[in-house]
Order: sequence, then structure tokens, then C-alpha cells
Amino acid sequence: MKKSYVTIVSCCFILLMFAMVQPAGATQVHAEPEGLWAHQIAHLFFIISMGILIYWLREWKLVEEKGWRLVQYSALFFILWNIDAIIVHHLDQLGDTFRTINAGTWYASISMNKDSSGLAFLYYIVKLDHLLSVPAIFFLYIGLRQLLKQAQVMKTSDGKS
Amino acid sequence: MSLPLFPIWIVDLLGSSLMILFSFLCVRLAKKLKDQDQSNVVWTYLLWLCYALAGFAISRSVGHIAKRVLLTSGHDDVWDFLRPYSGAINTLMFVVVASITLFFERTWKVYQQISKDQKALQEAHEELIYLNRNLENLVTARTQELAFSERKYRRIFEVSRDGIMLVDGNAAIINLNPAGLSLLGLSGLTTNGKRIRFPNFFDNLDNWTAIQDALSLQGFVSDTEVLLKTDNGTRFPVLLSGTAEKGENGKIDSVQFLIKDISQRKAMEKQLLQADKLASIGQLAAGIAHEINNPLSMVLGYTQLLLRDEKEATQQYADLRIIEKHTRTCKTIVEDLLSFARSTQTRQEVGHVHTALDEVLSVVQHHFELDGIKIEKDFDSKIPKMILDEEKIKQVFMNLIMNAKQAIGKKGSILLKTHYDQALSQVIIQVADTGTGIPPEHLSRIFDPFFTTKPTGEGTGLGLSVSYGIVKDHDGEILVRSEPDQGSVFTVILPANSARGTEIINGRRNSFDYR
Repeated sequence: MKKSYVTIVSCCFILLMFAMVQPAGATQVHAEPEGLWAHQIAHLFFIISMGILIYWLREWKLVEEKGWRLVQYSALFFILWNIDAIIVHHLDQLGDTFRTINAGTWYASISMNKDSSGLAFLYYIVKLDHLLSVPAIFFLYIGLRQLLKQAQVMKTSDGKS
Repeated sequence: MSLPLFPIWIVDLLGSSLMILFSFLCVRLAKKLKDQDQSNVVWTYLLWLCYALAGFAISRSVGHIAKRVLLTSGHDDVWDFLRPYSGAINTLMFVVVASITLFFERTWKVYQQISKDQKALQEAHEELIYLNRNLENLVTARTQELAFSERKYRRIFEVSRDGIMLVDGNAAIINLNPAGLSLLGLSGLTTNGKRIRFPNFFDNLDNWTAIQDALSLQGFVSDTEVLLKTDNGTRFPVLLSGTAEKGENGKIDSVQFLIKDISQRKAMEKQLLQADKLASIGQLAAGIAHEINNPLSMVLGYTQLLLRDEKEATQQYADLRIIEKHTRTCKTIVEDLLSFARSTQTRQEVGHVHTALDEVLSVVQHHFELDGIKIEKDFDSKIPKMILDEEKIKQVFMNLIMNAKQAIGKKGSILLKTHYDQALSQVIIQVADTGTGIPPEHLSRIFDPFFTTKPTGEGTGLGLSVSYGIVKDHDGEILVRSEPDQGSVFTVILPANSARGTEIINGRRNSFDYR
């Protein structure tokens, strides 16, 4: 009872804070580029953590088991996806390399400048980032399924012995 | 050139939906894993990672779908309002997923430690259960094993022919097996309530000090020859081996000794040495005797020829008589030497040692009784007739009995004892006296030719040598046991088997030793 009361009060406080956002002269102003930088650094952190996960999986030879090997592939795809996302966010903020025609409609397209057609083409490709993120989560799924299967087998054999 | 954005949107919408779908499926699988083993910290970790990924997928995919729907439906202003929240939450979710991922290393180590502890606990638990179920059987089996082992080692301890002794750090005897007790002439391990100390049995205490030094220095002594003595003063040589057990402070706690009585071996060695010596002397004596015998015969012959032509009353006749007498004495000595060297012919006749003994006694008994020497007989009636040279055997008995009389001097007794050892087919004849005994330093020389303690002129020192030669010629042995003031016992051992007789008759000499 007491716990739920604390939770409600905390939530109300957070909502109030969001509703009463005003410029605060005493604190540093966080203008627009900071959000992108924070996001890009978060992607970098994601890449590092996945890299460390792969390192330990290999160090302890867990990748010799099929389940953990699939988890390793998942981490690898997450790294690729993060790199992809970092490139997209970087190209997004360049602005003058291409133009979006009919934005917001199903007929929208990217018009490329002659000078930056390569970049625009890269932007088009890396925009398809789900082609990396979906395999990443899919590998995690099949990895977990394999681990579950192994755990069930072990439990059965333990029960028998 | 322009590229349509339509394929990107399709992939975006479909991919976002699949991300949400698979993230929830991952959460479901992780929950199942956790349900498999609630205490498994790795499954808990994976569940939290899946929760974070689900949050990440929702924050990102919902944002993407909302953007696509709102922009396509012309609600750009709504999207502009939601965009910072969506982006910020998305960024936060990256950080959460990455943070949780970083905990994998710690989680796995904790899991390994828990698994190890769990395994150890499980093993201990299983062992406890096993012990609980089988405690009684295990105790019974172990007790039986222990009893068997104890019996085995106790038996080794009890039946060992060598002494096994355990002494404490102060050399007090803690345990001693029956052979050891008998060896040291003990009936118990204490006197007046105090433990008997092992050094008390050392004839020379320097030996004990040397053994103690070796034990302290190297922890053991092996096959060390020392002379021990019993309470009644009997000394005997032993081979001593010992191993020390030291305590934490390096001091000796206890020592196990193995005591091997080697007095018999020593006696045997002595006997062999004596036999070797006598054989060498015998060869020498035989050689000399043969060489002297012929010239003596010549001297005697020519003396007798000269005597025939000489008148009895002349000085020359008397001189020749003296030459004849001394030549005869020399011839007797030479014959005795040849007897000792076993170079004389031995006759093979069927005889009985009792007859020989009785005949010798009939000669000396009256004379002995006059001198106050009593002769006792203890004859074994089972002694069979044997193949022997009765005359020579009588000479042996005469020598032994005369020696006994001389050792007694006046008043004493001589015991003549015979015994038949059927198992070894041996006849044993003992001549024991109550005389002065033989000093230990003379014992090894009494069979040497010309060795005598009698005054010059009273004996040639060939009696025992001749007896030795005769007994050896009968494939027998002659032994002596004597202690000063305790008397002496001469033992003649003769083989009684008929096979020997056959061999002698056929002219082949059997050198087989019965002892």
C-alpha cells in the first residue's frame, strides 16, 4: 500500500516537471545539436557493450554452444545496425546533399545533386536499417530458443539421474 | 536522379512491427528459461536484457510507425510535438540495453561461482544421504577391515622370529613382541612400576649413543651390529634396525626397532672358520708327516739292525735304545698327525657306540673312582648299530673322557649321554664334565694340533686334533660348549644312516655336512 502511494507521487512529480518546462537561466542551455550527439554517443555505447558481450562469449568459449553462438550473431548484427544508424543520423543532419520531394506522401522520393549522388545513394541504402535490426533480434530469439531447449534437456536428464 | 522512398517506408513499417513481435517473443522465451530454474542468475540476466530490448523495440518502432502514419496523414505538427520525446526515450533505451549488456561478465562469474558451490553442496548432500543410508553397513565393513588389519599386523608382531620393539622418546620400551621378550630375557615391560629402558641391554653404551645420534641425524639406523646383554649377563650379538618418528618440534617421539639375533650365524661363521683352519693345518700336517715318516722308518730300521749286533751291556747299546725309543715316539706323533689329517685308513665295521663307550669305561672307571670322579651314564636305547671304525671311535671317547678327568682334577662327575635323533638320522654322544671349563680365548684353538695347556711333557696337544680328524672321517662333527668354572660339554654327532656305510665301503668319501 505504502509502495504504490510512493509510486503514484513519483509519477505525478515527473509529469509536473515535463508540463512546467521553462528556460532556466541557472543551468546550461541544451540546444539542438546536443540531442543528436547524445543519441550518437548512445549508439556508440551500444556498439561497445555488444562488442564486450561478444568478447566474453568467445573468451569463455560459450560460442561452442549453439544457443550462445546465435546470441553472438545477434550482438554482431546489433553492432552493424548501430553503425548503420550512426551513418544515417550523420547524413540526416548534412541537409544539402539531397532533397526530399513530396515528403509525407506515398510518392515521396529523394532527389540527388550531381555532386553528392554517392552520399545520397549511401543514405538510401543505410535507411533500410531494419534489414540489420530485425536479423539481430531474430538471432536473439532463436538463440534463446536453443538455450531453452538445452535447459529442458538438461533438466530432464537431471530428473532421470 | 531521384530514388523512391516507398521501399524504405515499407521496410520501416514491417521491420518495426517485426522488432516488436520478436522482442516480445524473446521476453516470453527468457521467462520460460527463468521458470526452468528460478535460481539461475544467467536466465534472470537474459530476462532483464529482453525486457530492455522490448522497451527499446517499442520506443523505436512505435516512434517510427507513428512518424510514418502522422506524416502520411498530414499531422506534421503532432509529430513535431512527439519527436523529441520519442527520440529521447529511444536514446535512453539504448543506454539501458547497453548498460544491462555490460553486466554479462559479472553475471556469468557469479553464475559460475554459484554453480561450483551448488555442485559442491550437492555432492556433500549426496554423500551425506549415502552415509546416512549406509552408515551402519559402512561402520561394520570398516570395523571388519580394521579388525582384519589389526589381526594381520598383530600376527606379524606376535609370530615374528625377530624382536620388534617400540620405544618412546626417552628410550623406554612401550611394546615388545614375544620374540623380543624372550631374546632379552624379560617377562614384562616394567620393573617396580617403571618402564624398562632399552639402553640397559647394551653391553657397550657407546653403541647406544651412536645409534641415538644416527636416529636424530638421519631418522633411521639399518643393520647395525651391536652386542646386547640380558639381566643374567648373557651377551649375544644382534643386528639392529630402527626408524624414528619425530614430532612437530623435531624431537624423537618414538622409535621402532627390529632386533635380529645373529648369535647362531656368528657361531656358524666361527665354526666354518675353525673348520677351514683345521683343514689347512691338516693338509700341512699330512704333508709333513708323510715326508718325516719315511726317514723315521729308516732311522728306526737301521737302529734295530745295529741293536741286533750290539751287546746289551755296552754304552753303545744303551744309546741305540734311546734312539729307538724317541724314534718310536716321533712315529706315534706322526701317526697322530696323519689321523688328524684323515690320511690313515679307516675301517668300516658294523658297531655300536654304546659298546665302544662301555669298553672305554671298563678301562678307566676303576681308576677314576679311586680319584673321586663319578661317571654317570644316560644312554638312549634307541640308538641303532652303525658302520664305524670302533677302534678309532674308542680313541675319540678315550680322549674326551681323559680330557674331562684332567679338567675336573679331583672330585667331580662326568656325564656320558647318548641320544638318537631319528628325524635327522644322527647319533649324538655328549661328554659333560663339572671341571674348570675352557677359557673363551682358548675355545677357537682347542682342536689345533699341538695346542695344549698342560705342562711340557704331559701332553702332545694332539688328542683333540686326532679326535676331530676321526669324527670328520666318519662324516660327523665334534662341538664344544664351555664356560669358565661351569664345566664343558663335548658333543660328537655321527650320522646313523646306512647309505654312508655303503659309500665308505665302495671307497668313495662323502663330504656332506650334517650341520
